[in-house]
Amino acid sequence: MIFQSIMSGARPLSIGLTAVVLTGCATFSKDGGLDAVSAMTAERTGQTVQFARPGSNTETIENNVHQLLSKPLTPDTAVQIALQNNRALQASLAELGIAESDLVQAGRMRNPGFSFGRMRGGDELEIERGIMFDIVGLLTIPIRRDIEGRRFEQARLQAASQAVRLVAETRKAYFNAVAAQQTAQYMEQVGMAAEASAELAKRMAKVGNWSKLDQAREQAFHADATAQIARAKHNAIAAREQLARLMGVWGAGTAFQLPDRLPDLPKEVGAINDIEAQAMRQRLDIQMAKYDTEATASALGLTKATGFINVLHAGYANKSTTDAPRENGYEIELELPIFDWGGAKTARAEAVYMQSLHRTADIAVRARSEVRESYSAYRTSYDLAKHYRDEVVPLRKRISDEMLLRYNGMLASVFELLADARDQINSVNAAIEAQRDFWVADTDLQSAVNGTGGASTPMRGQASSQTAAQAH
Amino acid sequence: MVSRRDFFMGAGALVGAGLVTRAGAASLPEAPVMSSAATQPPLAPPNGRPYNPVVTLNGWSLPWRMNNGVKEFHLVAEPVVRELAPGMKANLWGYNGQSPGPTIEVVEGDRVRIFVTNKLPEHTSIHWHGQRLPNGMDGVTGLTQPGIQPGKTFVYEFVARRPGTFMYHPHADEMTQMAMGMMGFWVTHPKNPGSMRVDRDFVFLLNNYDIDPGSYTPKVNTMLDFNLFTFNSRVFPGIDSMNVRQGDRVRIRVGNLTMTNHPIHLHGHEFVVAGTDGGWTPPASRWPEVTTDIAVGQMRAIEFDATDPGDWAFHCHKSHHTMNAMGHNVPTMIGVDQRGIVQKINKLVPDYMVMGERGMADMGEMEMPLPDNTLPMMGGQGPFGSVEMGGMFTVVKVRKDQKPGDYKDPGWYKHPAGTLAYEWKGETPQAARSDSAGGQSMPAEGRQGTIEMNVRKPSGHAGHH
Repeated sequence: MIFQSIMSGARPLSIGLTAVVLTGCATFSKDGGLDAVSAMTAERTGQTVQFARPGSNTETIENNVHQLLSKPLTPDTAVQIALQNNRALQASLAELGIAESDLVQAGRMRNPGFSFGRMRGGDELEIERGIMFDIVGLLTIPIRRDIEGRRFEQARLQAASQAVRLVAETRKAYFNAVAAQQTAQYMEQVGMAAEASAELAKRMAKVGNWSKLDQAREQAFHADATAQIARAKHNAIAAREQLARLMGVWGAGTAFQLPDRLPDLPKEVGAINDIEAQAMRQRLDIQMAKYDTEATASALGLTKATGFINVLHAGYANKSTTDAPRENGYEIELELPIFDWGGAKTARAEAVYMQSLHRTADIAVRARSEVRESYSAYRTSYDLAKHYRDEVVPLRKRISDEMLLRYNGMLASVFELLADARDQINSVNAAIEAQRDFWVADTDLQSAVNGTGGASTPMRGQASSQTAAQAH
Repeated sequence: MVSRRDFFMGAGALVGAGLVTRAGAASLPEAPVMSSAATQPPLAPPNGRPYNPVVTLNGWSLPWRMNNGVKEFHLVAEPVVRELAPGMKANLWGYNGQSPGPTIEVVEGDRVRIFVTNKLPEHTSIHWHGQRLPNGMDGVTGLTQPGIQPGKTFVYEFVARRPGTFMYHPHADEMTQMAMGMMGFWVTHPKNPGSMRVDRDFVFLLNNYDIDPGSYTPKVNTMLDFNLFTFNSRVFPGIDSMNVRQGDRVRIRVGNLTMTNHPIHLHGHEFVVAGTDGGWTPPASRWPEVTTDIAVGQMRAIEFDATDPGDWAFHCHKSHHTMNAMGHNVPTMIGVDQRGIVQKINKLVPDYMVMGERGMADMGEMEMPLPDNTLPMMGGQGPFGSVEMGGMFTVVKVRKDQKPGDYKDPGWYKHPAGTLAYEWKGETPQAARSDSAGGQSMPAEGRQGTIEMNVRKPSGHAGHH
């Protein structure tokens, strides 16, 4: 500490003053800030956050998770598991404890120091006793507490935003996993149709009704279909593993069951009024930016008032990536106003404040845009999924029915019938994808309104029905 | 059955005032219409020169009006709905309510005036195929006359100079209008009703259509791959039988307005070609046939004595022409064992049934749902089961007790004892087979080895149909 040398000479300050300052010192809260995080998360996602404290409720959580895993998962139970069991989130919640300790520490005076010196020179013995108080520390307690208070608040917002993001990611992973599993099942049916065609072609060639060319063509289709099935199967596994990672399960926990089908589309799309205003109130990144600006403002005020205390280096928690540990903190310098009376410093503080202001505005503008885009994606994907469900799939079914009638009249061959069955299955697959896209877009919209913004959502192209071209 | 009086009454109701102007109404004969596709009885001439009327198979003859010694007919070209067979109707173009249009019967030397009113969406004309007439009456748009515009009426007038068998059809946008069924029969009877006399005189045209299964309107751009081959725009089992009395001299006149030739074949009797488009063939030049090929645009009048009672098949001998709509690209499934595959297919297409493995007769036997407005490829129930036919097929029914002038269907023939094929119930010894396929005139060099072929006999099919 650079103030140490000054402190040792600051003897004359009364202990009474110290006592007055110390009466306002911070203590540890009962929940370590967790309740606030849980409330924020619940308000935005409907789910609370659990923190596994050493030696306390770990067993309860384990039991909870075990019980939730024993039934086929729903989007909500998957999220509940993730909120209790995702280790990255738990690490983030632990951060909360660290921040709170810092806050409490900041409100406390350094312990007084005691020094004793004994010197002898000839007959003379000099004993020097001293009690040292951290005067500068005392002076900066309000500033430090203020800063640490904000940091603690930031940590809570951070934890909440991470929880909200985890909820969104888990939901998306869930929908992807269910859809991929469904697609893999339908691909098996495509494979079955291709296999029947190939087998029939083989038998036709065997009895002399078909050429090697015709047979090879059907065989080639079957071979392609087999490759596609392999891909679909892997995709189903990959999507499932993504969900497993987010839920933080391993070992026996990975044997979780998924339902056979995605949840049905809601009857109506949510009509969302004042969605942008809602986002301005709810979004965690906007709240964080606001705190940042407020902190910069108070630092500016302080700099203006003293010119000697430099809190500009105070580090505030910013968006941090989940994987890397955050590195932040602050530093306060107290300078002696001998050469510089602080004019430049004030100007700089003002500029930094303005910068923070603009950043906040930028985040708000982006957030509004994200909300509008997500809403469009949500609407469009709903309409598309409904279109597939109500138009495309029934039409395909009708085509197949008519194709069967044509087969009955010997107007079409069994190969055309099978090729059409494949087309019908592919359109069912496209419908599943559309349904999945809706649920993903629904989650993204929630993120854009309540969290820190979802991913940009381009509409996925459907190529599946084009496979018809490969048929006869 | 519709009498001539009914024709005119019906026509009065159907031909509205909108058809002709008030000024022209006095001079324009009525245009009777026909709503039934059934064969109508012959139209005995109520006036003019006498003749022995013909019977138009699944059709009718057009009544006329005598006007100062001129026979006046009125044809109305218009869109019609024609029943091709029970269960299938087609949007066609025709005349006076039907396609083909009514048969026009006149007598050699008659002065004929034909009013043609166009109620089609495009211009038309009528060419009187085979007639000797003034060039300006020949009906070729652009060449001998302007087209008859929609809503307009043209008059054709000429003397029916040559007795014989003729037809009429448009010579304007001919490809479309003929593909849509615009055509009709024309008979010029000889001046002497005793000349060329027969007891029964049947007439019809051969036509073809391409109507996609499940649709109603012919594809007019099809050139050769038609899927419906018809007698007077009817397909079997919708074609009426030709019912005659044993010993009758029977004439059948056939005109070909399809895109290909048709070898028309009669069972049980031999006939002679007694007439062509060019006129009657001299008796000395006629030779006996059981099949006569009728080329595109040709007419043939065949004659025979119906000596042998029974139900005798009468059909085009191109086997696809005795089928209704079928998939011409459907692969042959004969002998392909589908066991094991059927279950797989049934998982995807639950109503799938195996067909064609033993041949295509399944089609005639099974009654399975088909696309709308589509007839089975083959069918028609006879006294012994499915006749397994379609298209250009009918029956000549020769009966002892069919009264003269009675064209009613007498029902199925009852075979006298000992005249019906029967099943052999005795021993069936193994037939001797040759193990050599005979010599070759030009064996290929350097090509050795034989191909192993397995003949799969129809047995062991239990459970997969």
